[in-house]
Order: sequence, then C-alpha cells, then structure tokens
Amino acid sequence: MVTSPEPSSGLTSVSEALSTREYLTAMWKRREFTIEVPLEQLRSTHQTTLLGNVWHLGNPLLFVAVYYLIFGVIFEVNRGVDHFLLWLTMGIFAFQLTSKTVMGGANSITSNTGMIRAIKFPRALLPISVVISQLLSFGIEMGVLGAMAILAGVGVSRRWLLLPFVLIVHTALNLGGAFIAARLNDTFKDVQQIIPFIFRLLMYLSGVMFPLERLLSSLGEKSWLVPLAELNPLARIIDLYRWVFLGASLTGGHIAVTTAIPFLVLWFGFRFFKAAEWRYGRA
Amino acid sequence: MSDRLSISVRDLFIDYEIFEDRRAAIRKRLVQHEGTGRRLVRALKGVSFDVFEGEAVGIIGSNGSGKSTLMAAIAGLLPLTSGDVLVSDEPKLLGVGATLMPAANGYTNIRIGLLALGVSSNEVDMMMPQIAEFTGLGEALDRPFKTYSSGMRARLHFAIATSVHPKILLIDEALAVGDQAFKKQSRGRIDSLLGEAGTLLFVSHSLEQVSSMCSRVLWVEQGRLRADGPSDRVIAKYEAFVG
Repeated sequence: MVTSPEPSSGLTSVSEALSTREYLTAMWKRREFTIEVPLEQLRSTHQTTLLGNVWHLGNPLLFVAVYYLIFGVIFEVNRGVDHFLLWLTMGIFAFQLTSKTVMGGANSITSNTGMIRAIKFPRALLPISVVISQLLSFGIEMGVLGAMAILAGVGVSRRWLLLPFVLIVHTALNLGGAFIAARLNDTFKDVQQIIPFIFRLLMYLSGVMFPLERLLSSLGEKSWLVPLAELNPLARIIDLYRWVFLGASLTGGHIAVTTAIPFLVLWFGFRFFKAAEWRYGRA
Repeated sequence: MSDRLSISVRDLFIDYEIFEDRRAAIRKRLVQHEGTGRRLVRALKGVSFDVFEGEAVGIIGSNGSGKSTLMAAIAGLLPLTSGDVLVSDEPKLLGVGATLMPAANGYTNIRIGLLALGVSSNEVDMMMPQIAEFTGLGEALDRPFKTYSSGMRARLHFAIATSVHPKILLIDEALAVGDQAFKKQSRGRIDSLLGEAGTLLFVSHSLEQVSSMCSRVLWVEQGRLRADGPSDRVIAKYEAFVG
C-alpha cells in the first residue's frame, strides 16, 4: 500500500534536526514552562520535611554557621577581612548557586525521563528550569544578605546597581555548566558522583572561606595552580559580589577575561547539549 | 478517509545500542581490543506504510515485536537509523507509564504537560475546567500523580493529549487500562478527531477493541510488517499465527 508522493506534498520528516534559530523559537514558545516547573519544584522540594520551605534558606544558613565556626572561630581567617561574616556568607551563597545549579543540571535529564519519553519539546528547557529554580532561591538569599549588610552597618551603596550585571555573568556560567553536566550525566551516570568532588576542590580555589591571595601567596608564584586560580571565573564572580556588597577590593586578575569565560562556557555548553538532543532519556 | 497522506513511513530501520555491562565493554575495547562491547538490537527492520487523513489504523503483534518503537519513532522521540518518517502535522503520543511530575498533583501535571506542548499559560487557564471535567478524576486531581492508578493516569494523559486537538494521535496501549466509562468517553473523542480529518494509530492487544475502532490493521512481528489490510483479514491471520 505504499504510494510514493513527492516529499513536497506538505509532509515533513520527524527526524529533521531543528536549526539553532528554530530551536530557540520552540524554546521561547514554551518559556512559561521554565518558570512554572521551578515554582512547582520549590513548592514540593521540602514538602515531606517538618519545617518545609524554611529549608530553602535554612540549608545555606547552616552552611554559613558551620564555615564561620571552622574558618572564623577556629582558624581565625577573619583577621584582616572586614565584615568576615558577610564576606563569608556572600562567598558561600554565590558558590552554592553554581554548584547546586550544575548538580541540578546534571540530573535534569535523568530525573525527567518520563516527560522526555512522552512529549516532544526542546530538552534545553529542563536545564534552564533548574537554573531558574536556583535563581529564585538565590533571590531570597540576596534579600537576607542585603538585610544583613544594612544591619551590620555596611549600608546601601550605589554599587548595588551593578548587581544585575554580576548576576548575568554568573548565570551564563551556571547555565553553560548545567548544559554540559546534563549531557555528560545522561551518557555516563557516573558523572553525578564526581561533580561534588570537583566542586569541593573548586571551593578552595575560589576563595570562598579564605581570601584567594592568601592561598596563592602560600603556594608561591611558580605553582601551576596560580594561573588556574587567576582565570577561575567563579573566583572573580565571587569577588565581584563582595565588591558590590562590601566594597571589598578586587583581586587584580583579568576581569575582562574572566567575565568573557562564562559566555564562552554558555556558548559551548548550549551547542554541546543540543548536539545530543535526540539521545536524551534513552540510555 | 481522504486521499491526503498524513503519515508516510519509508523503509524505517531502528537500532538500539545497549551496553549490557559497561565495565566489560570498556575492557573489551581498551584491553582486549576486540569489538566495542555494545550490542545492537534491531527493533525495526525496514517498515513501510502510508496512512491517510481520517484513517484509524490498528497495530497488533506479539510483545517485543517493535510496536512501541514504531510509535515513538513516528512521534519523533527516537533517532532513526535509516529510512524516514514523514508527517503532515506533529503527532501526539499517548503511552502507558508516562509520568510528568510524579510529586505534583493532577492539575499541575495537566498544566506542565500543556506548557511543554507549547500551549500558553493563559490558554491553559481557559482549558483547565473542561480538561479536569473530561478526566472524570474529581477530587483526585488534588492528589499527587504518583498515587494514581494506571487507569487514572491513562485518563489524565488522554485528556492532555487530546485537548490540543492533535491531527495525528498515537495511542500505545493507553486505553487498555481504563474502565468502561472511560473507554466509551475516549471513543467519542477519537471519533470526533477522525471526523475532523484526524488520524489515529492505535496499538493494542485487545483485538476486539482494535477491530471495533479501526478499519485497517498493521501486524508487526520481529521488527517487520507481516500484514497490512482490512481489520478482519489481518486479525484472522494474526490469530492463526498465535494459535
């Protein structure tokens, strides 16, 4: 019963890969998905715990308490750092935004196979949902941080106006990282086991708990870790946040280079992710 | 039935690659230098057929014969190994066991499902009362999706997939788990879809259901099309094969 009409008879192939432009159009059409899924996840994440939504803020604040005890009280890193508690909190919140987003991105495909097998939609919406979900939590954390800054007498500054710029650079990095982690973890489920260790190492190289220049000076100038730390975009982004909120000095580095890197990561991450669009949720 | 094509499957091959044991596979590849350790499963081996607008086509065959693979391929959810699938409109697939957000309630699942299909949030708000009523789930819509029975899930998915008035609907065993009331209700909706020049592909192990809904049946066996023709003739052949 096979007739063979010309392919021009109003039929399109289901296997035709979308161009980047068509892909972005399909994503834009479904933009509300990327807001509503995170809102739903925020509602349901801590549903089964006694304190519920308090944990969205409780979890990062407990981290702050633990690191303050260890690095502030025990190791006395706070000497020479103004407003150490705020400084530390800023570092932890910003660092965790990246680590949680990348980790969530890694799971975004593997934990939604049901949806992927049922509905055809641009899979990039899933890592993007994670990014937005984490940004929503981060917004609340920023609110708390702003209040802490005012209470600590640091005061409101005109530098706060630059916060959106820092956030855009930071989000580009996180989104790119989430895209890369999503594809890698879909292919090799081992990736989600490794990511926490990469971030643990990265935390020390990003100056979260103690100033990066102290680490670098104890390494000596010739260490191979020095250029790595200087190019680390996350370290520079954390610096920028601290500068915005505390007026802390910026550790030299190459600001232009380190703010360009996140956009390169995003560009590469998106292409890397999209290239395997067909495979997601299959393995 | 018109003479306008809605689905054209052309010499379709689908292979799955499976790693039975990743570590053994890596050892084979790197240490023993023999093979890749991957196993190729040929799910479809050269399937061709055309379906026209207004047609309801049943697909039957043994378990593991390739029916679900064929449906997923037509829905555009699988990479095609070779051959092609041409469609006049984006097909909507309705399968069993599909979950969207297990922890969220029925309403949220309807919402997220429609948003993923490209419906706007405003439209979802307007469609919601009707869809909720059509599911017949009542207060259960407030409960988490993971607490639903397979029949309740089928009701929800059917309501989502048909609410966007798809021109091509693919149903993979999803009605089999429903009760009589749901079967009747879904039948009504499918008939109106076919009336609007829609197309239905219907996978089922219930031969009765297939023959009552479809005038034409495809019999798939071991990845190949064994028969294609009027329902009664193909079903009779299949019954003789099964014995």
